[in-house]
Amino acid sequence: MKRLASVFLWGGVSALGAAAFGVLALSRGETVNAAWLLTAAVCTYALGYRFYSRFLATRAFGLDDRRATPAERYNNGRDFVPTNKWVLYGHHFAAIAGAGPLVGPVLAAQFGFLPGTLWLVIGVVLAGAVQDFTILFCSLRRNGKSLGQMAKEEVNPAAGATAMLAVLFIMIILLAVLALIVVNALKASPWGLFTIACTIPIALLMGWWMKRWRPGKVGEASAAGAVLLLGALVAGGWVAGQPHLAPLFTHSATALTWMMAAYGFIASVLPVWMLLCPRDYLSTFLKITTILVLAVAILVILPPLRMPALTPFATLGEGPVFAGKLFPFAFITIACGAISGFHSLVASGTTPKMIARESDARFIGYGGMLMESFVGVMAMIAACTLDPGVFFAMNTTPAALAQASQTLGAAGFVVSPETMQGLAARMGEATLVARSGGAPSLAVGMAQIFAGATGVFGGSGKTLDALWYHFAIMFEALFILTTIDTGTRVGRFMLQEIVGHVWPRFGETSWYPSVIASSAVIVAGWGYFLYQGVSDPLGGINSLWPLFGISNQLLAAVALCVGTTILIKMGRARFAWVTAAPLAWLVTVTMTAGWQKVFSVDPRLGFLAHAASLAGSTNPDAGRLIFNDRLNTFMALLFMAVVTVLIVTSLREWWLVVSRRKAAVVHEAPFVETGYATGD
Amino acid sequence: MPQGTERGTGRQKSAEGGKGWRRALRRMFGMPDYDAYLEHCRTAGHPPRLSEREYVAEFFETKGKGVRCC
Repeated sequence: MKRLASVFLWGGVSALGAAAFGVLALSRGETVNAAWLLTAAVCTYALGYRFYSRFLATRAFGLDDRRATPAERYNNGRDFVPTNKWVLYGHHFAAIAGAGPLVGPVLAAQFGFLPGTLWLVIGVVLAGAVQDFTILFCSLRRNGKSLGQMAKEEVNPAAGATAMLAVLFIMIILLAVLALIVVNALKASPWGLFTIACTIPIALLMGWWMKRWRPGKVGEASAAGAVLLLGALVAGGWVAGQPHLAPLFTHSATALTWMMAAYGFIASVLPVWMLLCPRDYLSTFLKITTILVLAVAILVILPPLRMPALTPFATLGEGPVFAGKLFPFAFITIACGAISGFHSLVASGTTPKMIARESDARFIGYGGMLMESFVGVMAMIAACTLDPGVFFAMNTTPAALAQASQTLGAAGFVVSPETMQGLAARMGEATLVARSGGAPSLAVGMAQIFAGATGVFGGSGKTLDALWYHFAIMFEALFILTTIDTGTRVGRFMLQEIVGHVWPRFGETSWYPSVIASSAVIVAGWGYFLYQGVSDPLGGINSLWPLFGISNQLLAAVALCVGTTILIKMGRARFAWVTAAPLAWLVTVTMTAGWQKVFSVDPRLGFLAHAASLAGSTNPDAGRLIFNDRLNTFMALLFMAVVTVLIVTSLREWWLVVSRRKAAVVHEAPFVETGYATGD
Repeated sequence: MPQGTERGTGRQKSAEGGKGWRRALRRMFGMPDYDAYLEHCRTAGHPPRLSEREYVAEFFETKGKGVRCC
């Protein structure tokens, strides 16, 4: 009877999901309600979790609750702590979800809502969640070791070194592109900049509160910080309206670039409790609250999607937001939300040290990634509720808009200057044209959804729209800045470790000359790419976001290589396809994208073609732009070379083990029986 | 059973429940929890190695080495 009910239940979920996908795929011209998109996503997640993750847990990995986890064996009451799976789910989700799942889908909306949604939903079930779960499982069986350590031990030392180098370079590109999103959102926006600037003294106050005044009282400090933050948000509107104060917070993108670099440097050298930790708490609270509120708001108003399922840019490859066709660019534009290599650093970081039972890894690793994908779907909905004309006007520079004007006009994606001016006035901004980077258009979409939901309860008006818009900007900028704080610091540690091999003193993380020098190098690295982005006539996102997508997906390839190697060495080669298949897809996508970004003859797409088009130009910036193109070429080729080295070394290792020319030695921690009751 | 004891048990349960929630939230948001550390030391049968200030300082230092995803 129970089995029959289960068959009916899951049969029903499958039919509902298939129907929702059918409505989305077959829509041609008519408006589709966001409810169908949510239904398709939720049904796919439910099926993926119930069946595929169960298969991975029981058959592919053989999770064993009789085995004591590192949290139980090394319990020290601090970093190794057995933790309830629901609590750890929240902790893990807060660590993996950042700006990526919000911005990537917004940018990919230039292809229409369908390609990005399909990649988000199917990609996460078959690739992204598999990667997170696999690496979490591997690290769990190795006392919580990091991805680099596992690559070194399980593949070979060259792979370990390659992985570490890859992470360092990826970090630099990641920080640059995230900083670019913030700069584009805050340029010429006194309201936005005032609010974000206020977060620095608020974080310093919180740091003093929870470290010096009332040690460990993070909840109190965060509550006070949240109240002050909301006060700053409201005060920002007043500041923007004051003729003497507004100019103090109105700056160009170049000026903001210098401010960001100075901020990143200071945050990296200051003690961690002073700025980084309080900002991290503040952004985590805000992130989780806002995502929950956004989900509820979407469910309450179920907005119609105004972007079509497919736009002409999917096949033409001349998109004004970024150049390139749907394949491969939709798959690297959306990394976080579908598959993100960066997650493997979290899944082999704090989370494996807190898992109480092996079987919890399924819920936390696989389930956590499904939730991130759901955030990506909500971002896609927010972007696609915008009028397509508004979306393209916001995400495109005037130069790129002029190039694409014919296609935009033919598709009916036009918007009048008066409409854009009216929208900007409603959102409390001077202009919303050419605000590329995804954050402002997401903020407008979120503001409209929030305003729609509050309208249901009687609230409405221009002031509320502007307040919601700046709340959304603050929400995005706050956790991007947190990633910049932590990323610069982690990059600094990595550089200190690398140089420390040849100069041990430099490797001391508390030696101030080393702290300052390594922080300066990391900030100079991402700062240069940021400057390149803000001074790019095409807006920077066109070149930097694909580079970030390629690098992030290549890190995922590193993680999947390690996972496949471990499965083969465990004697489970027959299940190696669970990681090898997504690996093959990722390598195909990223290598194709990398190749096109370097060698395409279209100057909007290929770095070398763009450099060639500038040769002999009278443009005074031509020399710098050519240098930037060559630098981007070098970075893309470097990422491709790194992954080639890793794939070749992994293939060799797999061949040696499978053909029994080498003993399969796994570096798994020995079995120790758990002291906890199993089966409950 | 006397009513006072019953009420006391209810209060005790509710206090324990509240403590459990606070602890869960602290861990979910990655906050320091010195009480949990003391409890761990009691269970492990050794005196606490760190004072509350030392524990908080060490906790934040470890947190600063963690990765936040994009």
